[in-house]
Amino acid sequence: MSKASRGRGGVLLFTIAAALASACLLLYLFSDSFADSLFLFFVAPLTNRYYLGNLVSSMVPLIVAGMGVAFAFESRNFNLGGEGQIYGGALVATLVALNLPEGSTFVVQLLSCSAAAAAGGLIGGLSGTLKRRLGVDELISSFLISSLAVLLVDFLVTGPFQDPASNFQTTRAIAASAAFPKIFPPSSLSTGLIIGLLASLAGKAVMDRTRFGFELRLCGANREFARYAGIDSGIYTLLPMALSGALHGLAGALMVFGSYYKVMRGFSSGIGWSAIAVSLIARNNPLALIPAAAFYAYLDSGSKSVMLGSDVSSEIVAIVQAVIFLLITATALPFAERLKMAGLTRVSSIGGKR
Amino acid sequence: MNWAGTTGTIAGNAIAAMTPLIFAALGGLFTELTGMLNIALEGLILIGAFFGIVAASMTQSLFAGLVAGSLAAAVLAWAYGSATIRLKANIFVTGLAANIFASGLTVVLSRQWFGTKSVVAFKIPELARPFAGLLGSIPFFGPALFSHTVLVYLSWFFVIAAAVIIRRTPLGMKIRATGANAEAVAASGFRPDAYRLIAIVLSGFFCGMAGVSLSLPLAAYVPNMSAGRGWIALVAIYLGAKSPGKIALACFIFALAESYSNYAQGLFRIPAEFILMIPYAATLIALVAGSLAKRAGKAKG
Repeated sequence: MSKASRGRGGVLLFTIAAALASACLLLYLFSDSFADSLFLFFVAPLTNRYYLGNLVSSMVPLIVAGMGVAFAFESRNFNLGGEGQIYGGALVATLVALNLPEGSTFVVQLLSCSAAAAAGGLIGGLSGTLKRRLGVDELISSFLISSLAVLLVDFLVTGPFQDPASNFQTTRAIAASAAFPKIFPPSSLSTGLIIGLLASLAGKAVMDRTRFGFELRLCGANREFARYAGIDSGIYTLLPMALSGALHGLAGALMVFGSYYKVMRGFSSGIGWSAIAVSLIARNNPLALIPAAAFYAYLDSGSKSVMLGSDVSSEIVAIVQAVIFLLITATALPFAERLKMAGLTRVSSIGGKR
Repeated sequence: MNWAGTTGTIAGNAIAAMTPLIFAALGGLFTELTGMLNIALEGLILIGAFFGIVAASMTQSLFAGLVAGSLAAAVLAWAYGSATIRLKANIFVTGLAANIFASGLTVVLSRQWFGTKSVVAFKIPELARPFAGLLGSIPFFGPALFSHTVLVYLSWFFVIAAAVIIRRTPLGMKIRATGANAEAVAASGFRPDAYRLIAIVLSGFFCGMAGVSLSLPLAAYVPNMSAGRGWIALVAIYLGAKSPGKIALACFIFALAESYSNYAQGLFRIPAEFILMIPYAATLIALVAGSLAKRAGKAKG
C-alpha cells in the first residue's frame, strides 16, 4: 500500500468513525431511551425485508447522482445543482411516461429516462456554458439555477400537473405496468438496482478507459497542462457539467420508475446533497460509489427508523452528513499523511483567477 | 393608491430588507478579501437567526439575542474555518457542511424544544425605532428612511466600520495582504492562515447579525428563513467590487427586487413559487451581467 493511499484510508476511516460517533451522540442527546434509539438506528434497518429492500433501493439514485458529482469533480467543476436536476428529471420522466401511448414498456422507460437525462443535462450544461463563455462561477450558477428549477417544479407539481383526484401535492402516477418490476417484495427494491450497478461499471470504464475520461481527468488535474497538450479545455467545462446534470436527471427518473411512480412536492429531499457526500466518500471512483452509497443509505434508513420509532427528528442525519462533509476532504488530519486530493484543492475567490 | 406613496412603501421595505443582506455581504467580504469563496454564509445566517431569537425570548433582551446569534454563528464559522484551514479540507465541501449542519440542527432543536418543525413564534420586546418620532414625520423621506428598527441603522454603521477596519487598521491590511500575496505575509513574519481563520470567524459574526435581523423583527423563527440570502450576498460582494459602500448599494438593488416582488404579489396574485424565484433570478442575472460587463471592459482595455 502506498503512502498516499494509506493517508486516504486514514481520513476515510476517521470520517466514518466520526460520523457514527456523532450519530450516537445525537441519539444520546435527543432521545428518551438511548438504548432503544441505538437499536432503531443501527440494527432495525437490517432486520426485516421491507427495511432492507428499501435501503438497497435508495442506493440506486445515490449511485447514479453520485457518479454525476464524480464526473464534475474529476474535471474540477463543482455542480451544486443536483437537487434541481433530480427533481426536474423526475418531473420530465413522469410527464413523458404519462403522455406516451401505452405500448412497449421498454420504449416508455427508455424515452422517459432519456428525456429526464436531457432535462438534467440542459440544466447542468447551462452552468457549464456560462462558465466556458463568460467565466461565471459554475458553483454559484449551478446552485442558483437549481434553486429556480426546484421552485418551478414545485409550481408545476402543485399547479398545472397536480393530480386532480388527489389531496396531496403530487402528479398523477404512471401506469403500474410502466414501472420497473419489484424484485424483493414488500420493499420497493426493483430492477432499477441493476441499472444502478451497470451505470457504476460503465462510469468506471468511461473514466479510466476512454479518451474522454482521460482528457477530463487531465483537465481536472491541471487545466494549463491539458491546454498545452492540445486539449480544448473549455469543452471539459461544458461536457462534465452537462453529463453531471444528465446523470442527476436520470437518477430522478430511476426514482420515479423504481419507487415512487409519481413526483410529489419536495421529491428530491436532499438526495442531491447526499450524492455529493457519497461521491466524496468514494473519492470520485465510480466503483467505490456502490459501498459509499450503501453506507449512506444505511445512515439514512437508520434515521428514518428512529423517527418512526421514537421522538427524534430524522434531520439528525443531516448533522451526521455535515460531519462527513467537514472531515472527508481533510488532508492534514493529525495522524494521517498529508494528501493533496486531486481536483479538490481549489481555493479561489469569486472574481479571481482559477 | 398614489404613486409617491407606493414608491415610498416599496423603497422603505427595500431598506428594511437590505439589512440582512448588508450584514451577510460584509461578513463574506472579509473571507473574500483573504481569497476564499465562502459558501457557508447561508448556514451561518440561519444559525444566527435561530439562536438569536431563542436567546432573545429566553432573556427578554434583544441585545442578548443579538450577541447570542452572532456568537453562535461565529462558533460554527470557527469550526468550519478550523476544518478548512487547520485540517486543510476543501473549503467548498466544508462550506456545504456548515450549511447542512445549520439547517439540520435548527430543525432538530426546533422539534426538540418547541415540538414543531415549522414556524415558531416568540414573545420578545419590541425593537426600538430610534428616528421614527421627529425625522419620521418628514413627508415621503421620513417613513422610507427613518421609520426603521435600530438593526437597520446598525447595519449602516457596520458598513462604515467595515470600511475603516479594512482600509485603515493593521488587521484589515493583513487580511487584504493575505488575499493579495500570502507568501509576502508569511515572509514578513505573520501567519496567513491565522488571518484566514480570523476572516472566517468575522464572517460568522456578521452573518449571525444578518440572521438576527431576520428573526427579531419578525418575532418568529421560520425554517430556512435565510432563503438564499447568503448566495445573494456573495453576488453583491462580486458586483460591489469588494468595497463596502458599493456592496451596500448592490444589496439595496437586490432588496428593491425583493420588496417589489412582495408588493407585486399582493397586486397580481402571482403563485408564491414565482415570488420566491425573484431573488435567485435577480442574483443569477446580476452574476451574468457582471461577467459580461467585465468581459466588455477587458475587450476595450
